[in-house]
Amino acid sequence: MGEMQIREDARAWQSGMAKNITFIVTKDCQLACKYCYLVGKNVKERMSWETAKTFIDYVLSHEDDFPEESVIWDFIGGEPFLEIDLIDMICDYLKQRMFELNHHWFNSYRFSFSTNGINYHEPKVQKFIEKNREHLSIGITIDGTEKKHDLNRVYKITERGSYKDVVRNIPLWLKQFPGGGTKVTISSADIPYITESVLHLYSLGIHEVNINVVFEDVWQEGDDKKFEEQLLSLADAIIDGGYYQDYACSFFTEQLGKPLDPVYDNNNWCGAGRMLSVDAAGNLYPCTRFAQYSLREKNAWIIGNIKDGIDKNKLRPFLTLDRITQSNSECLNCEIASGCAWCQGENYDAADTPTVFQRATAICKMHKARVRANNYYWNKLYRKLELEGKREEFEKNKKESNPTIC
Amino acid sequence: MLEYLIIQLDDTSTSYCHYEIGAKEHKLMPLETLKAGIRFGMLENLMIQFVYPDYKLPDDYAAAIESIDHNKIVSSLCEDEALKAEADVMIFHEWTGLSLAQLDEKKSYVLRTAKADLFDRYLFLKDVISKVMRLNIVITDVETFTEEDFEKYKQILHILSEHIEKAYVAGKSPQFNILTDRMMLEKMNNCGAGISNITLAPNGKFYICPAFYYENEEDCVGNLENGLDIKNPQLYKLDYAPICRHCDAYQCKRCIWLNRKTTLEVNTPSHEQCVVAHLERNASREMLENIRKHGSFMPQIEIKEIDYLDPFDVREHWDEELLQQELIKYHQENY
Repeated sequence: MGEMQIREDARAWQSGMAKNITFIVTKDCQLACKYCYLVGKNVKERMSWETAKTFIDYVLSHEDDFPEESVIWDFIGGEPFLEIDLIDMICDYLKQRMFELNHHWFNSYRFSFSTNGINYHEPKVQKFIEKNREHLSIGITIDGTEKKHDLNRVYKITERGSYKDVVRNIPLWLKQFPGGGTKVTISSADIPYITESVLHLYSLGIHEVNINVVFEDVWQEGDDKKFEEQLLSLADAIIDGGYYQDYACSFFTEQLGKPLDPVYDNNNWCGAGRMLSVDAAGNLYPCTRFAQYSLREKNAWIIGNIKDGIDKNKLRPFLTLDRITQSNSECLNCEIASGCAWCQGENYDAADTPTVFQRATAICKMHKARVRANNYYWNKLYRKLELEGKREEFEKNKKESNPTIC
Repeated sequence: MLEYLIIQLDDTSTSYCHYEIGAKEHKLMPLETLKAGIRFGMLENLMIQFVYPDYKLPDDYAAAIESIDHNKIVSSLCEDEALKAEADVMIFHEWTGLSLAQLDEKKSYVLRTAKADLFDRYLFLKDVISKVMRLNIVITDVETFTEEDFEKYKQILHILSEHIEKAYVAGKSPQFNILTDRMMLEKMNNCGAGISNITLAPNGKFYICPAFYYENEEDCVGNLENGLDIKNPQLYKLDYAPICRHCDAYQCKRCIWLNRKTTLEVNTPSHEQCVVAHLERNASREMLENIRKHGSFMPQIEIKEIDYLDPFDVREHWDEELLQQELIKYHQENY
C-alpha cells in the first residue's frame, strides 16, 4: 500500500502542475558513457555558491512569473552528487527563503536527482538524504546486466565498467526509495541485451524500468528488426514470468501506436521552455539540453542570465510550438503516431537551420518496431488474462510506467 | 511564390528597413554578377528592385539595369541627382533631410527613424503625408519599446489618425503605412522575405533579406551558380508561424530578421513587434469607424474589437481547427 502511494505521488508531480527548475551544478562526471548526449562535459564548469544564490533570489523574487502550484528543484550534471556540499547549501537556502518569503512553493517542492549512483553511499550524500528525505526523488541509472551496463557506462580515462560500483548501492537506494525507478538508455550496440537487462533490473528489486532509445541518429541498417525481436522476447518473458503484475517497463504501454488527431492531439511532446535551467556561468536555458555542453552542432539557446533575468521573447517559440508545425507530412499522416517521442533539444541540434520547428525523425523505424512488439504484448497479455478470467481485475489494478522521456 | 528579386548593388546600398548596413565599405557588385542576377530574375519571372548606394554608378551598370523593367530604391543622401529624380522609392534616414526635401506627390517615401525622434517630431508628418503618394515609417529600434513607449505610440497614432481622417473626408486618399494599410487589407500583407522576395548581395549569393547579409555573410540561401537553396522554407510562411497565423494585424511587416534577432526563430515575432502592430491595427480600426461617420467607406472591411495587444497572451483561446486543416493541406502538397 505504501509503495502504491509513492507511485501515485510521483505521477502527480509529473502531471504538469509543477515547475521544473534545474541546477547544472557541474559539467563533470566520473563516467564517460558512450551514448551520453553531453558532448561538452568538463571539470572546469562547477557552479559557485554566489551563482546559485543569485539564481535562487531571482526566481523566488519573481513569484508572479512562476505561477505553477509546485516546484521540482532538479540537480543535474555531469554527476550532481560530485557537488553534494553545494547542493546541501542550495537546498537549505531554498527552504529558508521559501519559508521567509511565505512563497507559494513552500511545502510544495521536491528536490530531484538523476545520479549514476557511484557515490550514493558516501556519508555526505547519505546525510543529505536523511535531512531532506520527505522532499526527495532520486533515480539511479543502471542499464541492466553487467555486460550491457559496462558496454556504455564506463569510467573516463580507464574505460573500466561502472556496474559493480553502482549495483552495490541499489539495495540501500531501494530501501530508502522503495518505488524508485531507473532510466535505461538504448543505443545501437545495446539492442541485443535489452531482454536480459530488463529482467536483471527486475531481479535487483527495481519495479519500474523507464527505457528509451536515444533520439540521436545512431541507428544502423537492421537495428529495427533486432530491436523488435528483443522486445518480443521481453514481452514473452514478462508475460510468461508473470512480471506484468508487479513490474512496469515503459516500452509497453497501451496508449502507444494510435493515430493522432491533428486538432485535438496537437500538443508539443516536450516540456522545453516550460522548464528552466541554470549553469555555472549563470546563463538560463529552456531546458538543460539547450546548454552548450549538450549540443553538437548548434549554439546554446540562452534565454537570459541570473542578473538580467529571463528574456521572455526567447521563450515564445517554445510556448507556441505544436506537433503539426514541427512535423513533416509522414509524421502527420502516421497511423501509429501516438507515443512517438521527440526531444526538442535534439530536434534543434539536428535541424537544417537553427530552429526548434523541425522534428528529428531518426527514431522512426525504431518506433515502428516498438509499436509492433507492443501490439504483440497486449494481445498476448489480454488473451492470457481472459483465459484465466483475470482481465477485469488486471485492468482495475494495472500499473503504468512513467512517461518521462529525458 | 517568389515575385521579387532585390539586388543590393553595393555593400553600401541604402538600408530601406530595420537593419543598419554598419561599417561596410564600398564594394560594388561585379558587372557580370549584376548581369547574371538580372538574367536570374528574367528566367524566374521576378520583378527586380535595385537598391542603390549613395554614389553614382558607372555607365555600364546603368545600361545593364535599364535592360530590364525594375524599381529603384534610392537614399535621399545619394549624390546622383538624376537617379534620385528617377527613384521609385526614396529613403530618408533622418528628419531634417525630410523637412528640407522637395517631395513629389507621385512618389513613395520611407522614413527610417528611431522611436525617440518619432515621439519628438511626429507632428511634422502631417505635412509630409499631405504632400506624397505614400509614406512608410520604419521604426529602427522597435525591439526596444517599453510599456511607456507603447502608450506614447498609441497617442501619436491617435493624433495622426485625426489628420488622416480629415484628409479622407476631404476626398483625398493619403497612404501612411502605420495607419491606412490595415484598413485596406483583408489578409496578411507582410514583408514576404524568403517567400515572395529574395535578395541578391554583391557577392553573388542569395539572402533571405539584406539584413541577413549584413548580419552574417555566411548566412546565405544559395548563389547564382547553383540557384536558391532555402532550408526549412516553410518556416517563412504564415501557416508555419504559430502566433502570426492567429493574427489580424494584417499591416504588420512581420519582420523575419527581427523575429530571429529577438526570439531566435524566423517564424516567431517578439512581444514588442506584436504590440506595436496591434496599436497600429487598433488605431486603424478607430480611424475607419470615424471616417464611416461621414459616409459609406470600405464596407467590405471589418476590423473587430479585441481586448489584447499580443496574440501570444491569448494563445489558450486560439481556434486551431481551420488553421491546422490548412497546414495539413500544405504539408500534403509540399512535402
